[in-house]
Amino acid sequence: MALFPLTSNFEGDFVLQLVAVDTENTMDEVAAAAAVHSVGRRVRARPGHILRIRRQGADEFLPRTMKVAESGLKPTETVEVIWQMPHG
Amino acid sequence: MAVLNRMDWYDLARSTNWTPTYVTEDELFPPQLSGAFGLPQNAWEKYDEPYKQTYPEYVKVQRDKDAGAYSVKAALERSRIFENADPGWKSVMKAHYGAIARGEYAAASAEARMMRFSKAPGMRNMSTLGCLDEIRHGQMQLYFPHEHVSKDRQMDWAFKAYDTNEWAMIAARHFFDDIMMTRDAISVSIMLTFSFETGFTNMQFLGLAADAAEAGDHTFANLISSIQTDESRHAQIGGPALKILIENGQKAEAQKRVDIAVWGAWKLFSVLTGPIMDYYTPLEHRKQSFKEFMEEWIVAQFERALTDMGLELPWYWDIFLKDIAETHHGMHLGSYYWRPTVWWNPAAGVTPAERDWLEEKYPGWNDTWGQCWDVIIDNVVDGNMAKAYPETLPYVCNMCQLPILGTPGKNWNVKDYPLEYKGRLYHFGSEVDRWVFEQEPERYAGHLSIVDRFLAGMIQPMNLEGALAYMNIAPGEMGDDAHNYAWAEVYRALRETRKAG
Repeated sequence: MALFPLTSNFEGDFVLQLVAVDTENTMDEVAAAAAVHSVGRRVRARPGHILRIRRQGADEFLPRTMKVAESGLKPTETVEVIWQMPHG
Repeated sequence: MAVLNRMDWYDLARSTNWTPTYVTEDELFPPQLSGAFGLPQNAWEKYDEPYKQTYPEYVKVQRDKDAGAYSVKAALERSRIFENADPGWKSVMKAHYGAIARGEYAAASAEARMMRFSKAPGMRNMSTLGCLDEIRHGQMQLYFPHEHVSKDRQMDWAFKAYDTNEWAMIAARHFFDDIMMTRDAISVSIMLTFSFETGFTNMQFLGLAADAAEAGDHTFANLISSIQTDESRHAQIGGPALKILIENGQKAEAQKRVDIAVWGAWKLFSVLTGPIMDYYTPLEHRKQSFKEFMEEWIVAQFERALTDMGLELPWYWDIFLKDIAETHHGMHLGSYYWRPTVWWNPAAGVTPAERDWLEEKYPGWNDTWGQCWDVIIDNVVDGNMAKAYPETLPYVCNMCQLPILGTPGKNWNVKDYPLEYKGRLYHFGSEVDRWVFEQEPERYAGHLSIVDRFLAGMIQPMNLEGALAYMNIAPGEMGDDAHNYAWAEVYRALRETRKAG
């Protein structure tokens, strides 16, 4: 358990923002923490979508249940928070 | 007794170089202060200033200029222009004075460095006058806003801003420290006078003078026009220095300094002048869009100045040309959304009529920045104000110290430009900001951005209250919507009409 700063690059928003998470948080929880500062503030919610996390420039999303401590992300590293239609 | 014509004696009188015998040339002109380009004194004696003026001529002209500007101020002091001005226009003044006045005073020290340490006698003469110019600009731009301090505490930031850790001031200081406070005399002439003043002060001063006259603020219009006439003279200090460097095989070093300074100036103007021109100035008083002004005054003029000089366009020119239609919209959205952290009251500038203007000037605005504004507008109309203010910090660039941003909405292209250097992860707002850092990493590596300071625990408590205290923003100074959200009424009415329909 330790505070961990990340930089959120939220799909549809205009600016990178500092987001404080915990090393025990999952990627879904990171996405939710990032959403607090974008959705309903400058980005409209997209019903039926979930939010996924990926490293900047990566094609693949990090697994939804992966913890920050397991992700290899560095403090303040930028993650992209991307809207996704759940499969099926 | 007949008096010689000025040009019969000017060159002789200002050629004050001599051959030192008691000290070495390096002791007389330490390379760190004079400019270590390996050129001896006699190479610099070829420096030929295009604007030749003597001290008595200077005093006479300046006295007349001062008399003009101060008498307009005195005549209009009881006119209640300030009281009756559009709140957006007041914000223009506040942002301008805070960002500029004390920087002018600091520039006097940069001019003084050229005055003492340049090996070029002509440069020493021109910068003697330039130094006096900058003292004048500092004094005037502190004196003129002072009459408004008793009416509006934010006007006090004309004097106060430079001593604070307010984020935009950290950005301004970082830039001016880089180009004028910590550079040798020759580099100052290239970076401050040629790169910054030739292009960008034209932008701030001519553009604003036109807008001020339109807005009926003749005191401000006269003041900044008066300043601009000095700028257009002392901005010419750098040109002949560049010529000498190029002739002596130093083109690459000269070009690098131009490229660094132009980019930093652009970023600063994107946050200062862009929002003023395209959002704060009342719609009916706008002469040109920021982009149009940039294209006319910076792109066209500066391209010519560079090629006339024998220099290349900066390597990032294509990036720059694209960014002049985009970056300042983000800077405006950022300074509006984080408005408690600025010393002026940002005008939203997004009524339906203003949005039509933005869409016309910047096709696609409604599908991009407009999408973010749609959400803000809904929150304001719904009275959901908690969502109309921030709860975290924007991430700022480790070079320009401004938020890292891009185009939102349908053309979402926001990107971080990271760099790991000696174990520390740096973040940059563009490829160019990162390139500037890479040119001389040790010069910049130790600086902490406002976000770095927050993460290092230097801002306590770690919330908005702590951030405002750290930025020296006292109660009554914190920014909020310039028009107290009156513009939202149009949207409320539109909603009612839609419901009724």
